[in-house]
Amino acid sequence: MSGKMKFNYDAEVLSRVASLNIRAMNLVDGLLSGHHRSRHKGSSVEFAEYKDYTPGDETKHIDWKVAGKTDKYHIKQFEQSTNLKVTILLDASGSMAYKSPDPQGQLKMDYARTLAAALSYLFLKQYDAVGLAVFNDHITSHIPPRSKPTHFQHILHGLETLVPSGVTQLNEVIKDVIERLPRRSILILVSDFLTRDSDIEKNLKLLVSRGLEVILFHILDPDEVSLPFEGDIVFESLEDDLSVGLDPADVRETYREEIQNQIQFYRSYCSGLGVDYIFLDTSIPLEQGLNYYLLRRKSLGKT
Amino acid sequence: MNLNFISPLYLLGLLGIAVPILVHLLTRRQQKHLLFSAVHLLFHSQKRSVKRSAPNRRLLLLIRCLGILLLSLALANPIFSFGGPGNFPPDTPSASVIILDDSYSMGTRTGQTTFYASAVEAVLDLTQSLPADSVYSVVLGSAPGRVFQGWTDDPSRAKKILKFTQPSAQTTQIGQAFTEALQLLETAPQVDKRIFILTDRDKNGWNEDNFSSIGEGTRYPVEIIDFSGMKGGINLAAVEHVEVHQDFLSNSRVVRVKMRAINLSPTKPINKLKASLWVRDKKQTSGVLDLLAKSTGEKEFSFPLQVNTPLTGEIRIEDDLLAQDNHRFFHYQPNQSIKALIVDGDPKTVEHLSETFYLERALNPFSVSTSNIDPTVSTLAELPMRNLFDYSVVVICNARDLPFGYERELEKFVMRGGALIITLGDQVDPKFYNEKLGRLLPVTLKSIHQITRQDEPFRLLIKPSQHRVLKAFKGRTLEEMKSIRFNSMYSVEPKESAEFTIPMWFRNQAPALVESKSGKGKVILFVSSIDRDWSDFAIQPTFLPWVQRWVKYSARKLDNLTQQELLVGEPFVWKEPATGSSIYIKTPGGKIVRLRSGGEKVTFDDTFRPGVYTLHRGNSASDENSESQTIPQLPSGTEPAGAFTVNIDPRESLSDKISDEEIRSLLPEMTVTFSAGYQHREAAHPEEGFPLSTPFLLLVSSMLLLEGWLIRKE
Repeated sequence: MSGKMKFNYDAEVLSRVASLNIRAMNLVDGLLSGHHRSRHKGSSVEFAEYKDYTPGDETKHIDWKVAGKTDKYHIKQFEQSTNLKVTILLDASGSMAYKSPDPQGQLKMDYARTLAAALSYLFLKQYDAVGLAVFNDHITSHIPPRSKPTHFQHILHGLETLVPSGVTQLNEVIKDVIERLPRRSILILVSDFLTRDSDIEKNLKLLVSRGLEVILFHILDPDEVSLPFEGDIVFESLEDDLSVGLDPADVRETYREEIQNQIQFYRSYCSGLGVDYIFLDTSIPLEQGLNYYLLRRKSLGKT
Repeated sequence: MNLNFISPLYLLGLLGIAVPILVHLLTRRQQKHLLFSAVHLLFHSQKRSVKRSAPNRRLLLLIRCLGILLLSLALANPIFSFGGPGNFPPDTPSASVIILDDSYSMGTRTGQTTFYASAVEAVLDLTQSLPADSVYSVVLGSAPGRVFQGWTDDPSRAKKILKFTQPSAQTTQIGQAFTEALQLLETAPQVDKRIFILTDRDKNGWNEDNFSSIGEGTRYPVEIIDFSGMKGGINLAAVEHVEVHQDFLSNSRVVRVKMRAINLSPTKPINKLKASLWVRDKKQTSGVLDLLAKSTGEKEFSFPLQVNTPLTGEIRIEDDLLAQDNHRFFHYQPNQSIKALIVDGDPKTVEHLSETFYLERALNPFSVSTSNIDPTVSTLAELPMRNLFDYSVVVICNARDLPFGYERELEKFVMRGGALIITLGDQVDPKFYNEKLGRLLPVTLKSIHQITRQDEPFRLLIKPSQHRVLKAFKGRTLEEMKSIRFNSMYSVEPKESAEFTIPMWFRNQAPALVESKSGKGKVILFVSSIDRDWSDFAIQPTFLPWVQRWVKYSARKLDNLTQQELLVGEPFVWKEPATGSSIYIKTPGGKIVRLRSGGEKVTFDDTFRPGVYTLHRGNSASDENSESQTIPQLPSGTEPAGAFTVNIDPRESLSDKISDEEIRSLLPEMTVTFSAGYQHREAAHPEEGFPLSTPFLLLVSSMLLLEGWLIRKE
């Protein structure tokens, strides 16, 4: 997608964008503003540390004052806070449109949308470039990473206007997006991972092997985890025409086992790859989820 | 198949099935629809899960319904049988014509019985179960279709006439039988008339021509009762043709019997079908042949002929379910040798100048006897030392006269059946021939006609002839005879009231060959010489067969022993039997029949049994136009006169069956119904069959146990 965004000036959309903006800002500002830092060093005004001069280093970075005092050449290093590029890959397939029949339930898409907005705000706040790619069986929209503060509006608009539909085909999407991502950037994948694709782990490995830092947010509704329904129900798929009629009581045990196995699989596989994996069910307040994530990154020394 | 109930009232219990259905419907939970994201996971889980609440409920419903169904059926006391109710037999007094196909294909075995036996059983069942005041008749459906039993109301009559019958060796001929049936029905007073056809539906027996004569407006119910579907009744192969040849150009005189067999299956090939050759009821040799599906294969057997006696035998193939077509008879009459005495009236010291040099070589062209003619050359002086009765034929060639009184010997020889052939020449004394042989010769010799050098030679008048000797000469051979040059010949003049024929003429209207009968023998006079003195005939290619055929003909060996191959039911016709003698036929069953002799041909119609029929000729002349009659044994003094074989028509063996549609198209105005024949017997006796109450009750118990287990599991 080109840098020129076309805004939908529908009043309802704008109000939703504003609301999302406020939610995201509150979420981030109220949490751990400033704690989240880029780990990449670069040229900036903020000094980081000295380093012994080695041939090849630019001479303009030699600290001549120190050379005068110590008769040794040192190079000044600065924080590279603006070179970090983050792409948020957001699942907008039909399955993300699930909303529990429980009145307390929340649309899974809304939860993911807020998370993406919050993360965008978080990164833009520290001058990192943030982009957004929305997908179902292909990339449906792509906002390239920018670091300008006004870019946040673009992202918010992109998030608010998306309508979940279609079938998840994560493998195809990763293969497609991998070519568009700059090396040494961060990819944040937000999805429910409810797909018939197999071998997703191979593509995750491919992402990592290309030097990308990958963060997975696995979002599920509590209904999808526990299958709490009762009675004869015909379950109709949100993604395709598949439907199955059964008594959930018959399959509950097996279903739970299946879904837990899947979660456990991603958790252990991501751990092995060095990929951050965060499982969030929509009943968990997003603040709590984000807080947990930031704390964990800090503890791992990635902040 | 048929299911009959002894207590059908209990079948009302089937209404009880409504109870579990109602219970199921009333207790059915409302089904909700829910849009869900992880449906494929649910689907997988459902497959893995052992619990099945909803299907179990449906299974329970099914089991309960089945339980009630089986219980009702068990109480109704069901009897299972292979019968079908159909409309057999009729319910009201009726006239029924039963066409019973007794063609040989009905002899196909099925288990311990045959199609035919089952058909007979069905006929008996039908006749027993006809309502009172009904009449029936039985028409046989093999060629020729014929009434076997006229109208009768006695149910036991069918048993009397059919119980010990066997299928015939004839082919199916339903059309003819149907015509007979219609004629019978026209004479029946009953209102309800019907035709039953009990057949294996062989297609060859349903010729359209036979049905074309059915008049419009003829409408009777027709029931086709088909026996071809009976289990196990499949005919694999048949012997289609047998041919016998004799190898003359070798010392061994090998007889070769060539057989052709057909695989009747349209799909299955037959590997290594055993075939064997039987001669005079002894196995001579055997072999195997491979047959592709629906195709024929040939096999040749050979064996040396030890003695020159007639061969009677058969080819047999491996037995299958239809034995009739697994063998085929043959008869072979080897040529019998003819002893000929050649009297040389003009012998020379140089061999090839002798009068009989060419004749002797023509009669026996090889060093070994391969022509079946054994010539002995004699001079006139040696003649009294010979016993004429050792010979069949005497050929007198250019003899001036005969030893004193020898003409009487010749007369006796000819009167008793010997053949005398006389050829003329420059030595011949016409006075002697006219005076001494006057009783034998129908003509008198007049004078020699000779041509000068400038004259055109005498030539034979060549035209196709029906004479038994000359009919073999046709086409090119006949053309070759035109080139024979005769420079001398005798003119002859017929005697008064003499009976003779002139089979060959010269172009100048002079007779070339005169044939006459004398007593039982023949006298043949050739008016030219048999050597090269008067013609170049002796060195022409046609000379050898001409001479041989005249000798064989005069000795009554040429086509004299008749040999024919007939199919079952085809009449035997012998066009040229020796007149003045009785003809006897010995049938394969050993019966001896003296044939009615009426003119120039005899016929014999009773060829319904396959096998070899031998012909015999007796000395005593039978009365003209006397009827054929069976005699206990052959009269003494009869001599063999040939044989003919009667074999089944292999078309009947073919597996082609006529379809329902084809039958309906042949009988457009009739109401035709079809049923499998072997069902009827059971239908007539519903209590015969397998009772199913116990098995059904056992199944009910199983259903109860299964239901209990399912409920406990839930």
